Amino acid sequence: MASADKILKALSDSLGNRIIQTRTLQPEKTYIQVQTGAHRDAVKIVLEQDKEAGVSAITGVDLGETIELMYHFRTCGTIITIGAEVPKKDAKIESITDIVPGANFHEREVSDLFGVTFEGHPNPKRLVLPEDWPENVFPLRKEVSVANIPSKIINSEVSKGEKQFSSEERLVNIVLGPQHPALIEPEKFSLKVEGEIVREVEPRIGYVHRGIEKAAESRTYLQDIYLVERICGICNACHAACFCQTVEAIMGVSIPPRARYLRTIILELNRIHSHMLLLGHAGLEIGYETLFHYMWRDREPIMDIVEALTGNRVVASFITIGGVRRDLKEEDLPKIKAELAKLKKRLSFYKSLFESDSTLKMRTRNVGVLSKQDALKLCVVGPVARGSGVNMDVRRDEPYAAYNEIPFNVITYNEGDSWARLMVRLDEIGESINIIQYALDHLPSGPYRVRVPRTVQAGEAIGRVEAPRGELFYYVKSNGTAYPERVKVRTPTFANIPSFVRIAEGGNIADVPASFVSLDPCFSCTDR
Amino acid sequence: MKWARLKSPWVLHFNSGACNACDIEVVALLTPRYDAERFGILLEPSPRHADILLTTGVVTRQCADRLKRIYEQMPEPKFVVAIGACACSGGVFEGNYNVIGGVDKVIPVDVYIPGCPPKPEAIIDGVVKLLKSIEGGKQSGKR
Repeated sequence: MASADKILKALSDSLGNRIIQTRTLQPEKTYIQVQTGAHRDAVKIVLEQDKEAGVSAITGVDLGETIELMYHFRTCGTIITIGAEVPKKDAKIESITDIVPGANFHEREVSDLFGVTFEGHPNPKRLVLPEDWPENVFPLRKEVSVANIPSKIINSEVSKGEKQFSSEERLVNIVLGPQHPALIEPEKFSLKVEGEIVREVEPRIGYVHRGIEKAAESRTYLQDIYLVERICGICNACHAACFCQTVEAIMGVSIPPRARYLRTIILELNRIHSHMLLLGHAGLEIGYETLFHYMWRDREPIMDIVEALTGNRVVASFITIGGVRRDLKEEDLPKIKAELAKLKKRLSFYKSLFESDSTLKMRTRNVGVLSKQDALKLCVVGPVARGSGVNMDVRRDEPYAAYNEIPFNVITYNEGDSWARLMVRLDEIGESINIIQYALDHLPSGPYRVRVPRTVQAGEAIGRVEAPRGELFYYVKSNGTAYPERVKVRTPTFANIPSFVRIAEGGNIADVPASFVSLDPCFSCTDR
Repeated sequence: MKWARLKSPWVLHFNSGACNACDIEVVALLTPRYDAERFGILLEPSPRHADILLTTGVVTRQCADRLKRIYEQMPEPKFVVAIGACACSGGVFEGNYNVIGGVDKVIPVDVYIPGCPPKPEAIIDGVVKLLKSIEGGKQSGKR
């Protein structure tokens, strides 16, 4: 097993004077800025040293004359960042997609939002912005102001391109979305099918792109908590936790123990409700409506607990910079414990159902298989990776909140099919219940928040949280005022998008909705 | 016809740029605790079969054309319910570069349900109020 120090040594040994500067963003998170062009060699060295390393995100930052590109690699329980700068006027850099296939969509996103051309990219099309977006307007560059962007002309006519047959006659185009009953959210997948077999998949995201990263720059840190919670209504607590802990890292604030435990409780409640929602939805997609109704009925008590704890049913607004907003009421404890115990009993029923029911087996076993090699190559995260036997979990690898004090297991399955991904989530619900029960029993006393100043000193930090769908990544840069300079969010589903293509290709068209749902897509997260 | 529409309104759900919070509450409507089917409400996958369009979220630039097209595909009479602060007015995303605004910037809206997200009870209340006003002779597309 490689260690982060070994990788850093290998980088400095072989790149030598091509390294411009090295700095430590926060403990154990190193940033190495290299000359443009040397970034490909640096990426190769990281991957040679750690075969399981993957790209977490590619962040662009507008520095005025230049655009800084940061390639964040997750390896050995930390993040190593390789940086390169390109001039704004002639923003070009070589693509790393041929080395790391998982970087494909990250590069397309940076290209859309910052106008950086990635030379040698296999598919440099628009990804996030709409097709009729004005040319040469790159919204995340600082000089672009929202008021100067031309307004849109609405045109509801059917475009000619969508009904055409493919140029190769044996393949027929089938478009899934943007409005499709299997995807609650609008996103488009163009499938090319030969008979019943899917041959090619072209995802087109960006239907829910709201420009949150730009909006975060014009709001204060406190207002940004409300904004990032609304990136995704399902895993809102994870977004708030990740943003707050990143800002706390810049400030150097440590939060009281009670707040760390309360954060853990809300994060795990979030995970339970998200996983149950997905398992029910999966039941609906495979034609097993009873499972959907059972799951959602058993999910309601969890929503009640969230409401009792935070005052809100869905968007918790519970976590804030410096701790949490409310304390747990002692009189709620017995009810919470009783409901969790009840749910735990129901879980054993669901587990036997998933293991023995023939409908579930037929629709999910050996369907949508993602091998471990592919999972590593495509840099997928969360239950998708764990269902393919990749043992990764930010809660264990880089503990935050109170996870370093609470015992829990990381669930992995080796099959890599839809069934394994659903089983990972089912077992994780059990683990989450154990974590909450432990946290409730060992809840420290004392204050639940510390007051923090409104302005944040200049600095930058990286935060990671294990959201229900996998590793959630935040990069925040502060310029010493009450407004952040840059907020970068890389959500778990964005990292998992390449796996959609892989699992659908070669499969039956009727299996596409069910296997997509087993990846637990959240497109509002993906697009931001 | 009117009787049938009142006793069994078929609804179509379309997310034009929501954060999923309203969407999961719309789905929660159909599940045992809230059980909107007791009002005859049936979630329908195709716009061509739907009477009521439940929209959630702000309208993004990329979704605007699609929202308009879905509305046009629905048969008359048709009604639109805007669920959540974003669908009503743009909410927290108002003024962002890829956002047009509330749903009423693109299609006529009959019922606004505020909240971030509104509770399932509020959504049921909104739809039932719409049914009452249809009973009273409300025409589609008019306040």
